[in-house]
Amino acid sequence: MKHYKKGSGIQRRYLKYTAALLGAALLLSSVGVAFSVRSTLTRSIVDKYEFMTERMGITLENMFRKSDETTAECILYDDVQQSLRKSGLEEVNKNALSKYFAYIDLDHVADYCYVDNKGNVYSRSYSNVSYDDVKKSGFQKYLEGDYSRTKWFWAKDSLFGTDNYALFIGRYVRSLDYAHEPGMMFFKMEEGFLNEITGISPELEEEASVGIIDEAGQLCLSAAPDDFGEKENVPDYIIERLAEVQGEGMVLEGEKIKGGVLSVYHDTDSGLSVFSFVPNRILNQGLIPVFVVLGTIYLVVIAVAVILSIYFSRRFTRPIQTIKEAMTEFDGQNFDKTIELHTNTELDEIGRSYNKMLGNINRLLDEIKEQERELRTTELNMLISQINPHFLYNTLDTIYMLARINKEETTMRMIQALSKYLRLSLSKGNDIVTVEDELENVKSYMEIQQIRNQDLFSYEIDCQVDAANTHVLKLILQPLVENAVKYGFQDIFSGGRIVIRIRREEGALCLSVSNNGTPIEQSMMEKINEMNHLPVTELKNCFPDKKRGYGVVNILTRLRLKYGCGAAFYCQAEQNGTTCTIKIPEEAREKSNEKNGERK
Amino acid sequence: MKRTGKENKKELYAGKGVRASAAILLLALMAAGCSKQTEQPVESSKEVSIPIILTVDSSTGIRNEEKLINTFNRLYDGKWQADVEWIMETEEEYRQNLKRQNVTDTLPAVITDLRMLPSFYQMVIQDGRIEELSKYIEEDEEWKDMIEPSVLESYKEDDGSIYLGPISTAAFACSGIFWNEELFSQAGIEKFPETWEEFWDCCERLESAGITPLALHTEGTAWAPMLIATAEAASTQEGRDFMQQFYPESYQNASGLRIAETLQKLFQYTTEDAMYTDFDISYENFFSGQAAMIPNGYWMMDQIPEEWQDKVRFAAFPENKLISSPETFGWAIVSDYSEEVKEGAAALLKLRTKLNMEQREELFTGTSEEMIPAQADYIEVYKHNPELVPNYQVKWNSILQEETLGEILPDLASGKITPEEFTKKEDESIQQFLEEQ
Repeated sequence: MKHYKKGSGIQRRYLKYTAALLGAALLLSSVGVAFSVRSTLTRSIVDKYEFMTERMGITLENMFRKSDETTAECILYDDVQQSLRKSGLEEVNKNALSKYFAYIDLDHVADYCYVDNKGNVYSRSYSNVSYDDVKKSGFQKYLEGDYSRTKWFWAKDSLFGTDNYALFIGRYVRSLDYAHEPGMMFFKMEEGFLNEITGISPELEEEASVGIIDEAGQLCLSAAPDDFGEKENVPDYIIERLAEVQGEGMVLEGEKIKGGVLSVYHDTDSGLSVFSFVPNRILNQGLIPVFVVLGTIYLVVIAVAVILSIYFSRRFTRPIQTIKEAMTEFDGQNFDKTIELHTNTELDEIGRSYNKMLGNINRLLDEIKEQERELRTTELNMLISQINPHFLYNTLDTIYMLARINKEETTMRMIQALSKYLRLSLSKGNDIVTVEDELENVKSYMEIQQIRNQDLFSYEIDCQVDAANTHVLKLILQPLVENAVKYGFQDIFSGGRIVIRIRREEGALCLSVSNNGTPIEQSMMEKINEMNHLPVTELKNCFPDKKRGYGVVNILTRLRLKYGCGAAFYCQAEQNGTTCTIKIPEEAREKSNEKNGERK
Repeated sequence: MKRTGKENKKELYAGKGVRASAAILLLALMAAGCSKQTEQPVESSKEVSIPIILTVDSSTGIRNEEKLINTFNRLYDGKWQADVEWIMETEEEYRQNLKRQNVTDTLPAVITDLRMLPSFYQMVIQDGRIEELSKYIEEDEEWKDMIEPSVLESYKEDDGSIYLGPISTAAFACSGIFWNEELFSQAGIEKFPETWEEFWDCCERLESAGITPLALHTEGTAWAPMLIATAEAASTQEGRDFMQQFYPESYQNASGLRIAETLQKLFQYTTEDAMYTDFDISYENFFSGQAAMIPNGYWMMDQIPEEWQDKVRFAAFPENKLISSPETFGWAIVSDYSEEVKEGAAALLKLRTKLNMEQREELFTGTSEEMIPAQADYIEVYKHNPELVPNYQVKWNSILQEETLGEILPDLASGKITPEEFTKKEDESIQQFLEEQ
């Protein structure tokens, strides 16, 4: 639990930032969506009512056109024209004309009246309308201003005596040929006439207040759903707004006014305006379900986002937690506790690297332990060696003296060579010597070998460098000469030749030992050369049987430890013999010399 | 106005706030994935439409005055547009429609042929239905200079007012007789008769050759027979005076009787289908070779079918007479329209005058080789100082023209009534007209 709490920092931060980002995105998108959806939906709803209002307006126009055509037919009717002539109509034709108007192609005519230019009135037989009635009605004023256009007007019925308000259609009736006084005709329309206009959009009537108003601001017709309150049912300010509107066609296209939205279609020919008023309550009714759906969607999105965030944060932080636990729990002893991750992410690589690092540490620890052990042994040997040289030299001097007394020339030479060899190997305690000393050392060794193996080989030294002032790691030539004698000349008993060359080549000091003996085996040569590419720690494992290769491993290890990776040792099998070469980069060599406080 | 630093600072913050709000709003809109295209207001055309109704010749399919309309619309493109409704109607139908459109208040902005309906013409003036044009013509020297003085004079009312847009010249306003040269040759007649005696003799000879001499009709205002009869009546001084009278008080006089007798005689030389038909039947009869002569005006030149152009000739009525009343060609502007429309309509009328003037110049300076034979004849006739007899249509009452003639002419032609009875019925129409007035 403690670990979980410590390890959940990344997850907490991840969740915190994700929540902040998600919250900001949702907030912005919800604001944008809400704004956009509201405006779009409102426009869409308003467009619907606007469209229905326009339909009513077009119906109004069509009905006016129809009334215009019908009254035009009346004007052109022969008896009507004849009635305007001086001779007028005969009595029988008058009766016929009175009935004619009852059969015109116009629905919802409540009553009609035609008066010719001689004061004759043509109406329904029961109407009993007289010329005086026509004059007193004052309806003629509605026809004035135009020559003979069809006029619609909303007025109190003072013509047919009902005194109720109704829509009237009136028109001057003029003679085709002569400048006579015009006649007049009036049709009183039933309420159903205007209802045809509003009835064209029944769905609108169920959701909005609709009505028809004339240019004087008189409300000719209004209808509203039963559930509409008083304020929603054509308030006065709507009438006032309608009176201000000018133009024709859709003069108000869903204008926002107090309490709702107003659409108005004005027909200039009839002078009437059709309007619809949709209260905000109705508009919002359409919006609420959409916002509920939107809100639900957002809640679902938030819930899914939270769940996914937790899931993914856990998925990503769990391996980190594992790594963290492995690292914190590592006590430096147990190298077996590796990490197994399979996330298909970079974390797997981190896990693998950790495991590899663990392995390396383990190996290095082993090496260090081994080196420490070897170091201690070496130090011990060194101490032992440093205690005994005088004893060794004195003993050798005694043996030399005895050999001299006994005139043992060979023994004397061998003791001299051994003494020289040992002096170089043991003296000074320094691992860097001049090339001159190194050559002296190897010469001593070769003399000993020559004494041991009579006539086996001869040697030649070709030193192309300043031997007295060129420093190298000591005892690096002797093992090569030893190998030449041991392996190169294993199949001969005489005629062997060893050539030691020291030269500078391509920025490196090259020390080579060639022999004309049996060439080195191909596999051995490749193995030795491959060693140059191995880490120092692995060199000792190259010859696990430790019967062969000790010298090579020794040389290369020492070279690499002293001069770094640039130092190399390689062998080359030749037609008659083998050449082994040591290459020491000059730069590394000089650095090493400086470390040892030696001048070049 | 000088501003303080504080105010500026406030404004700066306000600006930041606005920018931040705008950025949030923009982000919100982007997040919402919405975009609304701003509706560009469509600039409405300011071109004024001038409604006109013109006829299409039912025989040739030619749209009358199409050249004028096209020229006008090209010249005033973007400012005015003559919006023509082309209808295939006879002239008589067109005129009757004018009356219907008037009483139903649906007249177009420009109307033609008004002067052919004398009482209707008077009525529309009286009712203020057409525009008084002297304000346009008198103030426009260019327009005025295009009009021949005698033509302008004929357009003026007694009080000097002008209600019709005049043509430029009377040169194209004259009526004579179109005759079929081929049929005349078949009857052995080489030239058109120059006297009335020769005319009747010509009719006899044509009939003897089995050729119907005249293409006549009785409907409408009996245009074709009336042209010949009134031209013949003007061969005497009394007749000339009678034809000058506006609304004659009586037809029961020597001239009236002479016209009736001539009409009766004319119908002896016409086709069988002349009764109760209109001018279009006469036209068909002439251009189908069933009749050798048809009276009409210059405007029929455009209506001569191509294959007939070499056969048809034109001649003045005998004794070098032409019927002419240039005012019958006037076009009126209806007052109900807006000033913009009326201004455009006046420009159309002026252009019409101009084209008429150019046509005269072109025709009278051209060679006869460029014209069809009838056109060359017309120019020749017009250049030889013909005697111009007023058109009865602008002088006589409308009841006589539009109702009475159509009723009594067939009776006169068939001999059911005598010329005396004919004139008596004509006088009854005068009485009826006076009563209606």
